[in-house]
Amino acid sequence: MKKYFFLLAFLTTGTSLMAQKADSIKTNNSADSLLNSMNNDDKNAPVVIFKASRLVLSQSSETVKKNNLNFLIIHRFGDFAGKNGGGQIFFGLDAVADVYLGFEYGLTDNLNIDIGRTTIGGLADLELKYALLHQTGDNSSPLAITLIGEAGVRPYGSFVSTGDRVSYFAQAIFARKFSSDFSLQVAPSLVQNNTPIPLVPGSEQQFFALSAAGRLKVSKHMGIIVDYAHSFSSFHTGANDFSDPLGVGLEMITGGHVFTVNITNSRAIQEINYLSNTQSDFSRGQYRIGFTISRMFDFNHKETHKAEK
Amino acid sequence: MKYISMILLAWMSITNQAAQDIYACKNTRISLYSSAPIEDIKAVSTVGVSVYNSSSDELDFSVPIRSFQFDKSLMQEHFNSDYMESDKYPRATFKGKIQEHIDVTKDGAYPVKVSGALSVHGVTQNRTIPGTISVKNGVISMTSEFMVKCTDHHIDIPQIVFHHIAESIQINVSATYSSYK
Repeated sequence: MKKYFFLLAFLTTGTSLMAQKADSIKTNNSADSLLNSMNNDDKNAPVVIFKASRLVLSQSSETVKKNNLNFLIIHRFGDFAGKNGGGQIFFGLDAVADVYLGFEYGLTDNLNIDIGRTTIGGLADLELKYALLHQTGDNSSPLAITLIGEAGVRPYGSFVSTGDRVSYFAQAIFARKFSSDFSLQVAPSLVQNNTPIPLVPGSEQQFFALSAAGRLKVSKHMGIIVDYAHSFSSFHTGANDFSDPLGVGLEMITGGHVFTVNITNSRAIQEINYLSNTQSDFSRGQYRIGFTISRMFDFNHKETHKAEK
Repeated sequence: MKYISMILLAWMSITNQAAQDIYACKNTRISLYSSAPIEDIKAVSTVGVSVYNSSSDELDFSVPIRSFQFDKSLMQEHFNSDYMESDKYPRATFKGKIQEHIDVTKDGAYPVKVSGALSVHGVTQNRTIPGTISVKNGVISMTSEFMVKCTDHHIDIPQIVFHHIAESIQINVSATYSSYK
């Protein structure tokens, strides 16, 4: 009998405890804290650092996603001012300094294969671009690292052997989005021209270069880009009439397109060309208007669309 | 000794009963859909969390905006950066109270109305959202379909962009709960 009394006593206290617990849930809103504790944010999600794969001069750290194809048209007009510019050639718009047509395809989200062809030197290039490391939201990885390996060939013109037509370009891009408005990348690179560009005495086959580019968001769909490169070479100096390429651009994002209008002193678009041979200078009026049009095609749509249905 | 074991037994039964009031779902499926001129906008997240308190009738949801998966990666990127601004407003939440009390020990499908605060894109709106709670063999599940107006949550739809998003987005939610211990 005593046993049952105790059991009864505990069960009744139990019910009152239960009621208290239900009360405390209401007042302390523990459902709320439970919800917060269960939140499974993907803090390791990669941060999108740049809006496009191309900045003004440089390629950005961003890769084209899997099964996406990016079509690029990059154009540089003639000198705005100086002895070859001015009103008679409509501030350069009548002339073409360089045109680049390219395709970038995402083999995976992190690996791209890119092909392109540029007017200067008739240089055709084949490139692999690999996103080695992504910046993450929780800063466990504070920056992104992207590697570029590129081979360029000049199919026309007279060369001693086929090997002499080839140039190589290797670059490591270190990029970080510092705030929601500002991103910066720094990229050391190595250029190897089997036939030196330009082909004059003293011109080296191989040299290092360093590029830096930043993007400042000015609105949801617009950003200002500043892009600069310097070649470390005893030949590519001001005394030999070389200048460091510098570009300023306004990037506009319109859904599937990214459109960049820019002003640069560099005539060339392709990295091998502008790092090897930029002799045009802002101080001589040798700057030009240019633009980049990037159009993304996504081939993921149809497959997953069917799978969803 | 007998008393101690009895005390323990009784205590365990109490704590179990109390915990059984709270049900949780960690893989709530939330999908959005809107028909648009060029292509339909649709995305799915399967990592929403939900908590249901069957004694107080509270029903809460929370979903990371970045977890919504689109067919097109570019559309997903624009959804996050331009429309939802998921860096600033990482999640959408709903904190509600079911208007009807449901006896979760009895099997059946219960149409319910849940009143509460829907917070999307940092803007909170008071909403009453219809849904169905079903209990089958002791397993509680919930489905709901409702519309969210972009303007209600200050989600701008710039005219310049290619991927137009309709003014109203249809949201479907489904969750299967398990007792939270």
